[in-house]
Formats: sequence, structure tokens, C-alpha cells
Amino acid sequence: MAATSASGGAGCFPRPPPSGGEHGFVLGVQEKKQDEEGQCFLDGMDLLKDATENKRFLPTGLQGVDALLGGGLRQGQLTEITGQSSSGKTQVCLCSASHVAARQLGVVMYLDTSNSFSPSRIARIVDGFPISLVREPKNVRLERVMSSIICKSVFDIFDLFEVLHQLELSLKSKVNNGGNKICLLIIDSISSILAPINGGKYPRGRSMMISVAMILKKLAYEHNLSVLVTNHMVAGNGAPKPALGESWKTVPHVRLVISRERGSKICAATVLKHTLLVFA
Amino acid sequence: MEIADLPIATSHRANLLAAGYSSLAALSAASPPRLARDLSIEVHEAEEILKVAVGANKSKGADGPSTSSVLKGAQNAWDMLSDEQSRRHINTGSADLNNILGGGIHCKEVTEIGGVPGVGKTQLGIQLAINVQIPVEYGGLGGKAVYIDTEGSFMVERVYQIAEGCISDILEYFPHCHDKAPAGQEKLKPESFLADIYYFRICSYTEQIAVINYLEKFLGEHKDVRIVIIDSVTFHFRQDFDDMALRTRVLSGLSLKLMKLSKAYNLAVVLLNQVTTKFTEGSFQLTLALGDSWSHSCTNRLILYWNGNERYGYLDKSPSLPVASAPYAVTIKGVRDAVNSNSKRVRVM
Amino acid sequence: MANKLVSEMRLPPHLAHILAARRLTTAKDVLSLPEVELMGVLDAGIHTARAAVAHVSEIACPPYQTALALLEAFRARGDGRLATTLRGLDEALHGGIPAGKLTEVVGPSGIGKTQFCLKLALLATLPECYGGLNGRVLYIDTESKFSSRRMIEIGEKSFPQIFRQEGLAQKMAGRILVLRPTSLSEFTKSLEQMKVTLLQHDVKLLVVDSMAALMSSEIEKSATGLRQHPLRWALSFLKSIAEFSQIPVVVTNQVRSQSNDDGYRYSFEVEKKYDSNNAEGFESHLVAALGIQWAHAVTIRLVFEAHSGHRYIKVAKSPMTPAVAFPFTVESSGIILLSDEGIDVPSPEITSIRCQGENVLAQ
Repeated sequence: MAATSASGGAGCFPRPPPSGGEHGFVLGVQEKKQDEEGQCFLDGMDLLKDATENKRFLPTGLQGVDALLGGGLRQGQLTEITGQSSSGKTQVCLCSASHVAARQLGVVMYLDTSNSFSPSRIARIVDGFPISLVREPKNVRLERVMSSIICKSVFDIFDLFEVLHQLELSLKSKVNNGGNKICLLIIDSISSILAPINGGKYPRGRSMMISVAMILKKLAYEHNLSVLVTNHMVAGNGAPKPALGESWKTVPHVRLVISRERGSKICAATVLKHTLLVFA
Repeated sequence: MEIADLPIATSHRANLLAAGYSSLAALSAASPPRLARDLSIEVHEAEEILKVAVGANKSKGADGPSTSSVLKGAQNAWDMLSDEQSRRHINTGSADLNNILGGGIHCKEVTEIGGVPGVGKTQLGIQLAINVQIPVEYGGLGGKAVYIDTEGSFMVERVYQIAEGCISDILEYFPHCHDKAPAGQEKLKPESFLADIYYFRICSYTEQIAVINYLEKFLGEHKDVRIVIIDSVTFHFRQDFDDMALRTRVLSGLSLKLMKLSKAYNLAVVLLNQVTTKFTEGSFQLTLALGDSWSHSCTNRLILYWNGNERYGYLDKSPSLPVASAPYAVTIKGVRDAVNSNSKRVRVM
Repeated sequence: MANKLVSEMRLPPHLAHILAARRLTTAKDVLSLPEVELMGVLDAGIHTARAAVAHVSEIACPPYQTALALLEAFRARGDGRLATTLRGLDEALHGGIPAGKLTEVVGPSGIGKTQFCLKLALLATLPECYGGLNGRVLYIDTESKFSSRRMIEIGEKSFPQIFRQEGLAQKMAGRILVLRPTSLSEFTKSLEQMKVTLLQHDVKLLVVDSMAALMSSEIEKSATGLRQHPLRWALSFLKSIAEFSQIPVVVTNQVRSQSNDDGYRYSFEVEKKYDSNNAEGFESHLVAALGIQWAHAVTIRLVFEAHSGHRYIKVAKSPMTPAVAFPFTVESSGIILLSDEGIDVPSPEITSIRCQGENVLAQ
């Protein structure tokens, strides 16, 4: 599997001051009010300020992957990891979850569709962290880290809507209480949920897929979440390509392909798409 | 949640929006007869829509100051860890295989087992159906098994033989149990092992879909089932499904259902799969059937193959364990360790 | 049960009504749609769609039995096995060719597959007191190799005491129905009529010699792509016949030479270096003509092969039996085992088919 040793995540910025009204002039010091239509105007300066102050990079714990991602999993954005079966997608998810939780960056929400969330694997990853990272006994740390990773199984699209809806409500209600805020949402894998509805004669499936995308992006933006989803690869013309087709292709901000050399333990990652980086 | 995401009929959804019900709040304020009139639908249909809408809205009410549960039904990893550590695994019969599988086949997970014809997939399937029944006091799960046979390769004489082999091994490892009360002895009969295997013979893919759907109810009535084996998941889908895109959708729907069952009823799902040849990187290679999309739909994958003169299991996919392989053998008594590993054995099959 | 009509399922009226309105008439129609598509077709909510699926599934799902009930039924029925009268092989197979399963005989041409089938056909017609099944045999002869004379010769040599009786040989031979389909479509048609025929005529054995001949002619005709399809159909039909009427079904398969493209490795396996010294003299490596999918479907596979001057019958796939090989020769009385003691075969050799150039084709 991929290297799991802890690394000083390149882009792990310090925690920002407790959230409040740093949204600038238009919003004043009030809470955002998205219920009233058309009230949110932001200019480029606000967005830049928001981006530099709030949109941190969360570490995946894998130095190479963080570097490729331009620092890590960016808050407010949707990152997709795609790869063949058993290429290590779940490992990246588990590893990111452990690192984010270990550094007390916030709570990790893990939606599991293929019964592959493995607490024992997380325990092993956490156990491998150097003790100096946080000064506390190993067993205390283990309990603390693992208590801030929350897992829920999701087995169909309507479950997913329901869960995301609940999540949104609970995020809204927690705007004020500071600690224990969810900062990373992982869906492993989004394509298992979307595969049965993707295609066919009825447009409903496609519209639900777009709806999922909208909700995820909205959650990411409004609540400063990093969203990490995994996707399958399917056989394309010749080379395998990510599943879910063209309409999903535009959804993630960053797309990462990982592959594993058969019979070896070395994984390779490649960026397919990145909104912040320019390919020469 | 928006009106658009409610799990209701497409036409109703369009009607709701057209009639001016743009939010859940507006909808939940309406009475069934009024809604029926507005949408010109039957009252019972209106009731159903309201039920769905209220259900979706209810979470709002429950959303109190309780900070511990972010999400209904979610668990934190710490609690899951202790749950996982207390779980027992289903013995494959071979200590080496158990070893690479982290103790055996895990409950609450879907495990796919593939291999060439004759390598021992059905043998392992039958072995698991027997081993899941090893009583708790002998280190087993004491559960029952569901065996879904799509190929007709379930030979009941062989099952009897494997049950006998399992019992003789138990008696060998626990010699003191000879002195036990006859009640304990009563259980250790091949007949009682066979009585706890529920066998479904499936003759078409429609029946295969039906049985997986029906399992939800069946398992609700038979809570002591700890393993569901499908031998093989491939046969009928490979046989007579022509629309490949539809096949992919149906299969991925089935795999989610199996995932759900394994989690909800705390049981292991074991899917036996056939192999096929595939042209990649300039040569033909063996790979498991049903395509790329299906390859994602299991938690663990074990591939059985010939390595020289020995049968090997290769753990190809697992969220928690490293890739590894180990030898095993199929004997008169069932699946056991290979000869050259340190335990004694009868005759190689 | 896949084609069971929804209208006969006694569903709750509103469900029955909605399914009928959308022309979903059989269980197959309802169940081969993913949930969301079903909602689209029915224009119904998730609860209605799920209720419909749950109801239809429960009815379309075949009833279960416990393995114990199967065992008791099996014991009560008698096993219906057809003893081959080759003692070693019968012992290895726990009494003979099992009923209700598909048994495949694969090997190079001229090695004795048809001899084996002729003998089985003859045995099945014999009265039970002579170890037969006392029934009729349906012999599907696709290569026009069935020879009554040869069969009677085998009978006279192996069971002189029976065949000395006047007219018995004719009577036995008369119990074998030979079909000679010339094309796959003809074969398909005869298979379809077969279910009825089998019961009416008290058929106790079905032989298809050879399956591969039928298929290879078909494969040449049809373009690629659909190639596997008729085979798959025939395959599942043969299996269902075997099970439905609880008789042994024996199918022969030919071989072809192994091409270099045949991948017999998984991608995770390291490439093995084949010892070139191994390929001695005339020995060539052969594989079964019908591919891996076929091999998955048969319950028992017997490989007939020739190497180092002997012919062997190998039990290559069987849920009951260790991997053993028996040397044999073909004589006027049919196939004779040279030894009833099986030779343990180091597996995966068990799946290989060897054919030494000399004297095999001369037969």
C-alpha cells in the first residue's frame, strides 16, 4: 500500500481564529443569510481574503500526494481520487482521515458505501505517527483521534440525500459552538452509489447525480469543508478512464488518478485536473 | 433537502413545483385533501407524498442541542474499533489462508473469491457454510448459512463429507468434549450441520435478483444466519444478459444491496466469481469476470490460483490488510493447510 | 419462475394495477430494472417501487431447502449414478457418472472419447441387475461417429453372458435414440423438445458427442462478438435438463493447440520461465476447444490424454475426487483400465492435455 508514514504536511496552515464575521463589507458582522435570495454579493477581494484566510489545505499524510495536490485537500473544494480496483483509493481516504483527526484540525465525516471503512487500519496508521506530533500518551491519542472520525454507511442515493441533508442541518446548528467542527467529508466511493442510476432511458438518474454534486459543492463552500470522493475506473476506448461520464467530469475541482503496479506495493499518483495549477 | 430530491414520482415532483410548492416547509403545511386537489391526484397518493416529505423534514425537529451525534446512525471510529476487535471471523479451514485474511472471512464485509475452474472455489464455499456453524464453545460463530447455488455444483454428499471432516477436527482439537453432556454431543452431527444450511437453487438472473431482494425479509426472519454464499455470482449474468450498460447498473445495485445486508444483519457475504481472459498491455491475462465496474463492488477479494503444484490464495484487495498470498490444499476433509506447512494432512485432492 | 406473470402474483391491487399499466408483465420485466429506473417507468415514488420489487421478488424467488432435506431426498432417490464399470474410475467418482450434473470428456481426436460414450450408452440400457440404469439413452451425434455395430461389439465382448441371449443385443441397441443435428439451430430445436421427450421415453442418459464440433462450425459462420452466445444458451439448457430430469449428462469436447496468446496467468503472477527441455519430442500442448467459461460450467471434467507411450484418463475437475490418473487402452471390448490404482497427479498438470504424436491418430 501507499507509504503511510507521517510527514510534515506541506500545506498545513495553522488554525484560523474562531469563525465570525470576516466576510467583509457586504455581509457586515451578521451571519450569512442564504435563505433570502440575492443578498450575497462578494467581490474578488472578499473571495481572495476568504481564500487566503479560511481555505486551508488539509494534509493527506502522504507527502507526494500533498505536493501533487498543491498542498493537500483544499477546504471549500471537491477532490476526487480515481483508480482501478485495489489501487489504494480507500487507503488514501483512511490515511487522510487519520492525519486530519490527529492534528486536531476538526472532525472527519466518513461515508462508506462498500463496507471498507476499517477502524483497525486507522488504529495502525495512528499508531505509526511519531509521538512528538502531539504530546500525549499513545492510547489517549488513539482514542482522541478515533473519536473524531465518524463513519456512516450509505447504500443508496436516497440515503445519501438524507445524510447530506442531516449533515447540512447539523453544520448550520454548530456554526456557533466552535470546536468539533467537521472539516473533512469523505465519500468512499461516490461511484458505487451513482453507478446504478447513471445512464438508462430516464433522465432522473442524471439529474440526481448533478443534484449530489451541487449539494456537495454547496456544503464544501458554505461550511468550509474539504470534500474527498473516490471514483471507479471503467474501460474506455483503449485506456481505462474514470467512471460516471462527462457530466460528472466537470464536478470535482481536483482529480487525481492513482494506480498500483501489479504485484508491488508502490502506488503512483497523477493529477488529471486541477483548478489551481497550470500544466505546461 | 429540496423538493427535487424527494424520492417521489417524477410527475408528482413536477406537479408540486408547478403548483407552487417550492419548499418542504410549504409542503408540510398542506393537508392531504388540499394537496390532492392542487395536484389533481388521488388522496392516498397525496398522503404518500406527505409522508415522504414529513420524513425528510423530521430530522430538522430532532436536531437539538445534542452535540455528540452529528448524524443519526453514525458511529465514531473508536467505538467501531472495539466492536471490530470483539468480532469473530469465519475459519476457512486453512490456517495459512486465515492468516492472510486477518483471521478468516469477516462478518459485515463482502468478500469475493475468484479462480480458474477446478481450483476449489465451490469447495471453499461449502467449507465456509460448514465452518460458520462451529459452535461458539469451540471457537466458531455458531451461526447458520445461506447457500445460493446458480450453477448446480452443490453436491450434497460432498457437503456431508466436509461436515464429517470438520467434526472430526473439532473432536481432535477439543478431546475433552467427549466427556461433555450428551446435549453438547447432539450438536456435533453432520446431519445437524446440514440442517442449518439454507439452500436456494437459482436458474436465471431474474431469480438471482429476486433472491437477493428477498434475503432482506428472509434474514429478518432468520437472524442467526452469519454467512451468505453465492456460487457463482457470475453464471447467469454472463449467460443471458445482452445490454451491458444495463447489466452494469443492475449489478452495482445488487452489490449495494449485499453490502447493506452484510452490515445490517452482521453477516459475511461471500461471492464466488469465475475468471475470464482480458487483453491488457499487449497480452492476454486472467482476470475475474463481470468487468471493471463490478471489481469495485466487494470489500475484500481473494484470488485462488495454481502456483507450481500448489493451490494458493492471493489477497488482491482489502481495506485493512496488505497484499499477500498463502498455499492451501483441498483434501477429503475439505479445505486445509498445504502439505509442506507444519500441520498434518490426508490426501491431496 | 423468471417468466412468471405479475398478474398471477396476487399483488396488492394498487401495485398490480400500476405494473400492468406500464406493461411490466413478468417478474423478469420488473426485476431487471434498477430501482431508480423502475421509479421512472412506473412514475411512482420510492415506497411504491420498493414495495413492488419486494412483492415480486418474494414470489419469483424459488423456495429454499435445507441441505439436510437435499441429502434425504438424495438418499431416498438412490443416487442414479451410472457406473462406468471401470473399477478405479468408479471408485474415484464415488460410484460413477453422477445424475443431475454435467460431465465433460475432453481429449484429442482418436483417443477414445467416442468409445467411452458408446460404452456408457450401452451400460445405461442394461437391466439394473447388470449394473445398468434400465432406461433409454438419447445420443446426440454431431460428427456421425455413432456406430451400432461397434457398440454391439463392445457389448458382446464385455458382457458375453447377456448378449448370448437371443435378440437382447437388438433390444438394447433399440433403446438408444440417436439424433444427428447438422447445425446448431437444429440442435437447439431438438433440445427444446427434449424436456418432454426425456420424461415420455424414460431416458436415463443424455450424451452429446461432440459439443465442440457443433460450436466450431457455428463460430466460423458467425462473426465475432456473438460467438459465445449460442454456446451459453446450450450450456445452461443442458444443465437445466440434467437437473430437471435427474439423469447423467455426458458431453464431449475437442482440443485445439494452445496459442501463445492464451493468458493463463493473473497480472500479479510473475512470469514463469518454462523449461524448454520439458517439451520433449512430439508432445504438444493442447487446451480444450470450448473456452474457460465452458470449463467453469461443467461439474466433472475427465481428460483423456496420451503421453510417454500410454493413454490416461484424468479426473481433472470434480467436487468429490482427488486428482488422479488411470492408464487405459482401447480394446475390442471398449476402454480397459490397465490399473485400478489411480496415480496421484501433481495438480495443475491435471488440467493440461497432452498428446504424443505417435499412434494416437492411427486408431
